[in-house]
Amino acid sequence: MTESDTKIMVIKKSATFWVFLVLVAIGVAAFIFGLNGRHPERAWQAYLINFLLWSAIAQGAVLFSAVMHITNARWSGPLSGLSESFAAFFPISYILFLVLFLGRAYIFPWLHEDLHGKEVWLNIPFLFTRDCIGLLILYILGFGYLFNAMQLKLDPNQPKSKLRQSIYDAWRRNNRQPDQIRRRMTIWGGLYILAFALVLCLIGFDLIMSMDPHWISTLFGAYNFVKAFYIGLGALIILAAIIRLRQGEASRLTASHFHDIGKLYFAFCLLWADFFYVQLLVIYYGNIPEETNYVIVRTMLAPWNRLAWTVFIVCFIAPFFILLRQGVKTKPVFMLIICSVVIVGIWLEHLLLLGPALSHEAPRAIPLNLSDGLISLGFLGLMAIAIGYFLKVFPEIILVKEKS
Amino acid sequence: MPLESHIMGLFRDENSVVAAINALKESSFKFIRVNTPFPSHKIMNALKLKKSMVGWFTLCGGILGFIGGFALAVFTATRWDLIVGGKPIIAWVPFVIVGFEGTILLSVFGNVIGLLILTRLPSYRWFKYYDPRCSGEHFGVLAACKIEQKDGLKDFFQKQGAEVKVFE
Repeated sequence: MTESDTKIMVIKKSATFWVFLVLVAIGVAAFIFGLNGRHPERAWQAYLINFLLWSAIAQGAVLFSAVMHITNARWSGPLSGLSESFAAFFPISYILFLVLFLGRAYIFPWLHEDLHGKEVWLNIPFLFTRDCIGLLILYILGFGYLFNAMQLKLDPNQPKSKLRQSIYDAWRRNNRQPDQIRRRMTIWGGLYILAFALVLCLIGFDLIMSMDPHWISTLFGAYNFVKAFYIGLGALIILAAIIRLRQGEASRLTASHFHDIGKLYFAFCLLWADFFYVQLLVIYYGNIPEETNYVIVRTMLAPWNRLAWTVFIVCFIAPFFILLRQGVKTKPVFMLIICSVVIVGIWLEHLLLLGPALSHEAPRAIPLNLSDGLISLGFLGLMAIAIGYFLKVFPEIILVKEKS
Repeated sequence: MPLESHIMGLFRDENSVVAAINALKESSFKFIRVNTPFPSHKIMNALKLKKSMVGWFTLCGGILGFIGGFALAVFTATRWDLIVGGKPIIAWVPFVIVGFEGTILLSVFGNVIGLLILTRLPSYRWFKYYDPRCSGEHFGVLAACKIEQKDGLKDFFQKQGAEVKVFE
């Protein structure tokens, strides 16, 4: 990769920057319009779904790099560095979570309910305190891992921005050897993986499962973090495919990279379905009304049953059969399409989990309209700007091999 | 007296094997097979093999196993049709486990059977044209020719830098 190639990439990023900024503006406008309309709870519902989805994508994608380092994997090549760029969404995700506090009256249906002893856990101050601390720990560990991981990749001679300069200064002060850095990566990465599992469990329990406060599934937290890794990998494949399609050979992303990560993606497609099924089986056998009600409303009664089947087909059956073929996994265009469809499917899955609890009167049709789409586009814009910024400041993260 | 003479060239280096295979395919000698001590992508590419059909055996096995697993569960449930825990006799949700296990089991069988059929194993025909060094540090390229070309094939292998072994 020559210097001129790097420049071309930066220019391309800044051209698309405005497009994504417009998307963000549209999203914000749709959200504010929704808040002032007749159904502010619908706007908050879309906000919550998108917060959960895009945060999970960022957290899951960064997990990929940590997992690759911990397992000493060599196959991932430039994908590993690329996944680190998703950390740029962490600060945004944190702010988005804080904004959620403003909508607490709309997004927690249990606020004025008798919770039969659960109010010790389910109350606003405690919920926001623990989730704020949890996310903060997760993101600090993520950045701690990144701080060390990038020292092995960055080129000190590249044009420097203020951010880069301050990171270089910190590195110079520490003056660590590559072996020391790798050891620190292992520690930070390991802690990040642990925090990922625990914090995503917590988020799953607090922001998704608690919407129906009388329903419990012990496995729900694990289901939530497996899902996060599934869509995180999907988003990473999308980013890799876009870079491959734009830059061709220069990106160093080969067909075998796509094949390998496609296999991992396929495995997580199976694992997602497995966690879904394992929960279903236990509820099916127990046959306790408090537990079965949740499943019956969502999978057997109109209008949600159609959505449930759509989600299952889009997120499991279709990718399963399509990804069986080797040829599909090696083609960036196909993978781009499949992963995008799966992420839309997981968006709908969030709607399926949250919608019935948040719709106060039983709806005749699935509550889904244009403003949901527009708000989601806003979040897409935020994610794209965050990643674009990261790749602009650290362009060599995908171009340079780790210094040995 | 055999009509064909079998000669093996023993190489120590992967790249010279590739060169020898390419040269053999262009010559009048008959290329038969390569014995390698480890799997090699370079040699696989040089052989230009057709895509293996083993996957189809696996797929058929998997589909059979999926249906067979469900059929087994349904069959056994209907043999003793007691209602347990308020569940229907034919309860599809838990039968998925049997179906899944059946899929894996018969896929594996399909795969192994497909492998045996397509490679025509077990085959004793080539035992006499094998050198034990091919399990050690040598690559063996086996070729055949007419009796009168025997010296030509020997020369060919020697030119490629191989140790020659003639099978009588």
